[in-house]
Amino acid sequence: MESIRGKTAIVGIGEVPTGIYPERSFVEQAVAVSEAAILDAGIGKDEIDTVIPILAVANPIDNANMVCSWMVEEMGLGKTCKANFVCGSGGSSSANSLKTAMGLILTGLSKAVLVVHSDRLGTGLDMGAAIAQFAVVSMSQEYEIPYGFSQLALAGFLQQRYMYDTGTTERQIASVVETLRKWAALNPNALLRELRTAEEVLASKMISSPVRKRMMNKLADGASAFIVTSAERARELTDRPAYVLGVGSRCTNFTATEGQGDFYQNWTPAADDAYAMAGIGPADIDVAELYDAFPTFILISMELVGLCGKGEAGKFFEEGHAAPGGKLPVTTNGGMMAQGHTGAGGGVAVLVEAARQVMGKAGERQVPDVKYALDTASGGIGMDFHVGILGNEV
Amino acid sequence: MDEYTLPLPLITTLSKVFWDGCRENKLLYQHCKDCGRVIFFPKHLCPDCMGHNLEWLESQGKGRIDTFTVTYEGAPPAFMGVTPYCVAIIRMDEGYRMMSNIVECDFDELECEMPVEVAFVPVTEEITLPKFRPARG
Repeated sequence: MESIRGKTAIVGIGEVPTGIYPERSFVEQAVAVSEAAILDAGIGKDEIDTVIPILAVANPIDNANMVCSWMVEEMGLGKTCKANFVCGSGGSSSANSLKTAMGLILTGLSKAVLVVHSDRLGTGLDMGAAIAQFAVVSMSQEYEIPYGFSQLALAGFLQQRYMYDTGTTERQIASVVETLRKWAALNPNALLRELRTAEEVLASKMISSPVRKRMMNKLADGASAFIVTSAERARELTDRPAYVLGVGSRCTNFTATEGQGDFYQNWTPAADDAYAMAGIGPADIDVAELYDAFPTFILISMELVGLCGKGEAGKFFEEGHAAPGGKLPVTTNGGMMAQGHTGAGGGVAVLVEAARQVMGKAGERQVPDVKYALDTASGGIGMDFHVGILGNEV
Repeated sequence: MDEYTLPLPLITTLSKVFWDGCRENKLLYQHCKDCGRVIFFPKHLCPDCMGHNLEWLESQGKGRIDTFTVTYEGAPPAFMGVTPYCVAIIRMDEGYRMMSNIVECDFDELECEMPVEVAFVPVTEEITLPKFRPARG
């Protein structure tokens, strides 16, 4: 089969500030980021012939309306659009919608695809409902829920075992938060922009051991969008598109009890597929936009996609190598722990950030001379493992 | 017993076998008679060979803590009144994993790979939860 390396590209991105915006409606956010992505791409909106909204969490009615072509009407795409359908795989919806868009474009079924996500986890549902939501989704009602399991408990599981296996210290894990806050301080769209030291993280109370309060992500309102088209059209639109050079993924399980085996090892074959398609290796990566949710998620995936040795990621962060000015900047938007957790949008935000860095549009936090950016995404309780590589030349 | 207010397991035709076993202090898991695969959570077909020739076996109820967490805050709403509590993944000697709570234990003494054994805790007339405590021998 002919390689699909570099045959498609992200040509436009849009994002609104992530945070607590009770006056900003769901559709207002979605329209704002769609408009921004179209303007950023410099593409005529009549070229958008497929819209892929990504499933939201906060409100099932908004969600159902996105299924029913809400964005096609709001953006006035009804004369040219051929298809609107939702992509939903939780935190990996970003990667799966990108792959779907690539397929449509490569087969000629679509010319340009708008992928759009909006969610109001900050104000669209109350805190009790938010906790309840994350306490039942992606869990076995027969064999897990009776024991008080939660997504938070999952974070505890992973950090506990990771520390046991690698000897990583609590301070090293706290330094992930310190690093992400440094990035968020440079990101005008981030919610938590004040700096936070590892010591401050360690001084916060224990929530679900060994996860402390300041190791938790923050639910927020937010939206982002991106536009995918062919490499040929991308070159006409801009001299610096973010070409999709490689994608790789594995999808392994539903429950945490199943996944807590060695399923996380699947980051490695997913990454190997992406590197093989891109024709590069981990040493070539200039910036890594790693999906976070909790600090340990970044450390585990960073090692398994080959960006540092086994058990070394915590030290890497503690020594500042992942921070602004470091040798391998990681999650430069601040991730869900500092930009804010917008549901499936956490994955979209790091993909958009990877494109932004490749396109040279990251402002104060722009990493110099980015040729290759790696991004990751994962849905459910770690049900799948997606790695993508974007680059500024084919 | 006092009224039990925490979420009870969803009972289906499949899970009923497991929970009926627990009520009789038997910890059951499945075994594929075609390919030998040990199966838990219970399935309708063997996830290795897609065979339907599944049998129920009784576990000895012993295993090790693969990982655990003690939840102090941020528990699911129904569990907010029972914090702190420990949730764990247990690697059973028969070669499967299950989720449960660790009880009868000082939480400060918990660690990964600690040997544990099942402790059946009846919570309603119908449901007995298989929890785990540090192994005694």
